[in-house]
Amino acid sequence: MLSMKNISKVFKTDLVETHALRDFNLEVEEGEFVAVTGPSGSGKTTFLNIAGLLEGFTSGEFCLDGVNVSNLSDNHSAKVRNEKIGFIFQGFNLIPDLNLAENVEVPLRYRGFNRAERNRRVESALEQVGLAARMKHLPSQLSGGQQQRVAIARALAGEPRFLLADEPTGNLDSLMARQVMELLENINQTGTTIIMVTHDAELARRAQRNIQIVDGQVCDFSMYQKAEQSVVTDLQQAAGIQQAASSNG
Amino acid sequence: MLHIKPILSSLMRSKSGPVLLLLQIILSVAIVANASFIIHERLTMMQRDSGLMEEQVLSFNVYNFDPAIDNIQQNVIDQQILRGLPNVIDASSTNMMPLSGSGWMDRYVDSADEDTAKSMPGFALYLGNEHLLNVMGAKLIEGRNFRPEEINTQLDQSGMVAMVSKPLAEEFWGDESPVGKIMYQGAQTIEIIGVIEKLQGAWVNHENFEYSVIQNIDFGGGLKNKTYMVRALPEHIPALEEAIVKAFHAENPNRVIDGFSSLLDMKKESYSNHRLMATLLSMMVILLLLITALGLTGMVMFNIQRRTKQIGTRRALGAKKRDIVNFFMVENYMICLAGGVIGGLLSLQLGQQLMSLYSLPMLPMTYPIAAIAGLLIVTTLAVIFPALKAAKISPAMATRSV
Amino acid sequence: MFLYYCDLAWRSIKKTPMLSMLMVLAISIGIGITITTLNVYKTMSYNPAGDRSDSINSIQLWSQGLDTWDDFQSNITYTDTINLRNNNELALKAASFRTGLAMQSDNQDIEPVLKSIRITDRDFFSIFEVPFLYGERWSKTVDSQPAYQVVIGEKLNQTFFDGQNSVGKTIYLNRKPYQVVGVIKEWNPQPKYYDPLNGAFNDAEEVFIPFSLTEQEEFDVWGNTSGWKFEPMLTYQDRLNSEKTWIQFWALLPTAADKQQLQTWLAQYVEQQRSFGRFTDTAKTPQESFQISDVALWLENNDVVPRDNKILVGLSVLFLSVCLVNILGLLLTKFLKRAPEVGVRRAIGASRGQIFSQYMVEVGLIGFIGGIVGLLWAWGALTVLHAEFNVDPSVTGLDTSMWIITPLIAISTAVLAGVYPAWVVCRTKPSVYLKAQ
Repeated sequence: MLSMKNISKVFKTDLVETHALRDFNLEVEEGEFVAVTGPSGSGKTTFLNIAGLLEGFTSGEFCLDGVNVSNLSDNHSAKVRNEKIGFIFQGFNLIPDLNLAENVEVPLRYRGFNRAERNRRVESALEQVGLAARMKHLPSQLSGGQQQRVAIARALAGEPRFLLADEPTGNLDSLMARQVMELLENINQTGTTIIMVTHDAELARRAQRNIQIVDGQVCDFSMYQKAEQSVVTDLQQAAGIQQAASSNG
Repeated sequence: MLHIKPILSSLMRSKSGPVLLLLQIILSVAIVANASFIIHERLTMMQRDSGLMEEQVLSFNVYNFDPAIDNIQQNVIDQQILRGLPNVIDASSTNMMPLSGSGWMDRYVDSADEDTAKSMPGFALYLGNEHLLNVMGAKLIEGRNFRPEEINTQLDQSGMVAMVSKPLAEEFWGDESPVGKIMYQGAQTIEIIGVIEKLQGAWVNHENFEYSVIQNIDFGGGLKNKTYMVRALPEHIPALEEAIVKAFHAENPNRVIDGFSSLLDMKKESYSNHRLMATLLSMMVILLLLITALGLTGMVMFNIQRRTKQIGTRRALGAKKRDIVNFFMVENYMICLAGGVIGGLLSLQLGQQLMSLYSLPMLPMTYPIAAIAGLLIVTTLAVIFPALKAAKISPAMATRSV
Repeated sequence: MFLYYCDLAWRSIKKTPMLSMLMVLAISIGIGITITTLNVYKTMSYNPAGDRSDSINSIQLWSQGLDTWDDFQSNITYTDTINLRNNNELALKAASFRTGLAMQSDNQDIEPVLKSIRITDRDFFSIFEVPFLYGERWSKTVDSQPAYQVVIGEKLNQTFFDGQNSVGKTIYLNRKPYQVVGVIKEWNPQPKYYDPLNGAFNDAEEVFIPFSLTEQEEFDVWGNTSGWKFEPMLTYQDRLNSEKTWIQFWALLPTAADKQQLQTWLAQYVEQQRSFGRFTDTAKTPQESFQISDVALWLENNDVVPRDNKILVGLSVLFLSVCLVNILGLLLTKFLKRAPEVGVRRAIGASRGQIFSQYMVEVGLIGFIGGIVGLLWAWGALTVLHAEFNVDPSVTGLDTSMWIITPLIAISTAVLAGVYPAWVVCRTKPSVYLKAQ
């Protein structure tokens, strides 16, 4: 689904070169729910921007859905973003002048759907997040959690292959955060690949797979296995690793 | 301390905004300087004193188409009728009306000898009788008026005398008194008997507008088409028109009496293009300043909004309210001054172009300078209010994430 | 998509009403002033001859003495007029000047009126394509053998003959009977190009009588008579014999060959007149002593468009450019403020082109509204000009071309002002604005 090979990203200013990512390698399979963590300044945001085709990179190869997207033109990457990727931001980034339906409609407009198709998708997306009744409300009339659900609906409306979520619960209290997380998990169940950047360890643990970015490189612990595994085996395994570690030491 | 350096460096960083403002001010100065110069020129022109009782003089035309009419005789009778009408102060025939845009222009020479004769500048030539001076309300400052027995009826008669306007006399004879001098037209001699303080000609745009001569010919004679001037108090003039038509038709119905117009109306009409130009340009200047001011205010307000956090931080770090106001004032004064200087140069260039293309007089330096001063005032007014608002931003804004 | 952009643009305009009003005000005032001056300029510089402008020519002669006038006079002398009228090489030619006479008819109820009258030749009507309602112009013989015939205008015909066909009827000019031979349809070219010398925007005369009557009727000249030397003018014969200029002369020269032929003739004519002691300015060669002006040149030489008007057009264009810069600044300000929204749209999949289009539509809408308001300003300004300054109605009527020119200026001003801000905003990097707002 998503494959990054030896991606490097260098920011050059007059004085210094900053390596935001270096030899970054990552494979994400279809249907995975990947949580990306890491200290601030480690390159999380750069990774997300590159994964979302919002930024180019200096070297390496990036394939999305089997297509090499390393050197796409600006217009072409806009099209890919529109059709294959859904974005969810920490700050929701809803357009304040547009009501909920219109906000959700934005990507569909750019895709060129006709009115009937747009209406159908807007309605189903808002239904999915449980806000179909408030279509005509403005974002400012909603709570943070509701706003984020609208943002998710907007991301879903285009029926993307995968969702990129950047601290989706960062601005929410824990109750709302749990609701949003549950929503994301439900979406993942339907087959949508999700990559979520977060610094919330508890949230990260709920994902299938955990990736940590440190100094612009991937540390893939795969510490937490598939959700179906029982807590018992989980504990056993943990003990085993501990043993191995101590014997190694 | 005005802290110009940090302001300058912050200006250099956000290029497009200041550049646009600069461009706007450059163009504004160039337009305002030239436009106000033209306005001033026109207003000065319109304010010239005609030396006449403009609001008391009514003129009209009589066209006698009856072949049986003896024009010379009729002229005398008609003037008597006019002077006999109630409320008429005085009346006279004339060949032309001052400030009307049409009339006679001539030039005489100072000697009978064609080879050595020096030509006088061109002047408006009025033909009239001893009443004309009084009808127009012109002021005789030297010599005397015509005597009734001196009045001729034809251009080719002998015994021609004339009164000249003072500007004409000064131009040709300098400080010498012109009274007693002889002017020549071909073999004909015209003796100067008086000097009129001020008497303008017919064409307001003509360079010899102030040069005039009145000659002793009662011009109604010999022509079908006659012009008369009547002097009366302004409140009596409207009723006079009807009275004149009635009296003249009673005397002889075979004539057309029309073209009633007061000297004031003629003047207004003659200057209407200048009035129009001055009005349009004044409108342009006012609107331009208004638009510049509003644009400036809008821009400053946006900048303040954008820099709310920065301003809060500055306040938190100890900047006084005055410092914040100063920051914005100095920033905009700098742009305004730079634009003003470049615009001033541009306006001189534009003035040059206008001078060479449309023979306008040269633009004096005072106009660009005044335009810059005006724009500085506009800048102050446009910036001070948003800047005062900016100074009210609380230092707490620094810590708020906006 | 266009309607979507329009919807977004309208919302954006409504959201910042003060700023939008300021922009519309700036653009509309700029356009209003430009259109006002341009309209006056356009109507004044209009050439009523159209594609016949090259064919219709007036003739000027350098008949003045050495060191007198610096330019060709628009009028020529009576002597030269008669000689030109006798030039049989010219197929269509007409002398022309203006007089005034008191007009009456057999109907005693109508007060005599003093009418402005055109004295001219028969060919005048074909050179200027004057349309006839009844009858026709006087016959060729009248141009050489004077006859008291007259052509009158439609309106006069209405007044004096109730609009009936008046051909064969009589009118009296200064109590002399003239026989009506033709009635012309309403004809009032603006500018009055066949004689712009005393008011280029005055109305055309409504009475035309044969030039051949001039010597016996001694018509007053209601126009300019200019002389360059002292010549007593006590009788009408003095005027006819003098070197004073007071008559316009027109000839129709449809081809270059016709013009060439006339040039040759005129050069010979000047030489011939020199042998008679006229055309004494020997600093000019015979070839330099005449000027054949087509209508375009004629209108220009007679300053039909006053220089003030040209200055005004220039200044108002500068004014418009100030407005343009002003709007440019405001748009840039406004658009940059919305960069975060653009970031979101870009992330969601809007291409640069789509963002650019969205903002250009907004700019276009402002330009459109500004254009309409500007047209209203212009209309108001022209009405005021007409009412307050006696500017001729033919000049202050809104020229039909302005309906095309105004939106053109409005949209191009807006586009010029909008391209840079829209360009800047569409190049917004989407990633920059997505992190915590």
